[in-house]
Amino acid sequence: MIKQYKSTIITLLLILNLNACVTARIEDNRFGNTGISEGEGVVILAKSYHLGNDTETDFVRCVSSNISKGPSSMRVIPTNSFKNTLFPWFEPRTAPSDTKGLANLLKRNRVAEIISDNNIRYIIWLDGNTDSAGGGGSMSCAMGPTGAGCFGFAWWQNDSKYEATIWDIRDVKNEGNISAEYSGTSFLPAIVIPIPLFARTQTKACKGLSDQLKVFIFG
Amino acid sequence: MKKIYCLLSLFFLTSIINCSSQVNIKDPGIPNLLVTQLPYHVAIIYPKNFENFTHEEKVIGRKSWKIDFTRSNKLLFNKIFSSFFSGITVLDEADSTSTLEFDLVIKPSIDAIEFSVPEQSQDETFSVWIRYRIKIFDNNGIEIINWPISSYGKASTSTFADEQDLANAAVLAMRDAAALIILQIEKSKKITNIISSMNRQQPL
Repeated sequence: MIKQYKSTIITLLLILNLNACVTARIEDNRFGNTGISEGEGVVILAKSYHLGNDTETDFVRCVSSNISKGPSSMRVIPTNSFKNTLFPWFEPRTAPSDTKGLANLLKRNRVAEIISDNNIRYIIWLDGNTDSAGGGGSMSCAMGPTGAGCFGFAWWQNDSKYEATIWDIRDVKNEGNISAEYSGTSFLPAIVIPIPLFARTQTKACKGLSDQLKVFIFG
Repeated sequence: MKKIYCLLSLFFLTSIINCSSQVNIKDPGIPNLLVTQLPYHVAIIYPKNFENFTHEEKVIGRKSWKIDFTRSNKLLFNKIFSSFFSGITVLDEADSTSTLEFDLVIKPSIDAIEFSVPEQSQDETFSVWIRYRIKIFDNNGIEIINWPISSYGKASTSTFADEQDLANAAVLAMRDAAALIILQIEKSKKITNIISSMNRQQPL
């Protein structure tokens, strides 16, 4: 039974694994010297939606996870636990929007104490999002008593634009930022079976930005 | 066989006519607030609907949504005020005459709730706006503060979890309300001024 469907399963897996091309651009802009000692940690936060930002929670999770593993990994404090411990000072309304605001916040003894106890060295602010736009084509699917199928061709543009700003808590200083722009066109041709060729710009932006963040922080 | 067809048709029909969603928020999970506690004992009087607050709205041309806040608003305000004041006592509206023993009496209420779903906002987010009202009285029953607190929460959509996403946006709006109330209390000198003047008037 398994042997009979083996080739079909393999073909399906191969089809699902197909990716469309993505173009990438990563730039970093360094203002100061960075570095991280053993035991020091970073926290990754999305910039406030009160400032018009809508970075996806999944993207923040993805960057946090990538930074905490692999070569040059560092200790990442989970975002929610950080925000809950320092509640309400890192909520979208109250979070500092610049290093001057951070300096004011650190004047609160308990806030400074908790940050110091947890050995948090950097705050990484993420800004930006992934958009799908400029699509075209058409596709129709039908289902009958003998089976189902689709016919047509559709495409759309995926753009992921993100920026990470790195604040050094110890020096209360903005150390620089990294911008990542990934774009690609996803295709969906269908002759009976639709074959998705997705441009996974968000996944690639997450990987690219995380790798660059490691390089940036380790100096 | 006929039975299976009937059941399948019934399932298909119910999935088509299922035009409403309900969201339950049992506990917003508001953490302890990192604020300096004031050494005052306050009474909180909640409106009756705080025990079981629900908000229902039909999105034009789409399904209707019901947010059941259950006791979560009570939990939110208990957490805020117990973090900010050294003592809180929750009173029934019927007991509101016996407030002389407290430094302040706080009466929170909800003025309005609104929300938007991705079909309305044309983006992949759920948003919730809650307008609370906080009235604070001195122990003579004189209103000293009447603040509208307009809070906002926004959550991005995830696959097959619309109800959970709307609940997340509502919880974020409640957390935003907590942040706003703390900012207002810290900014306002009225509370500390009034309590210190009350203490001065008390005979030694």
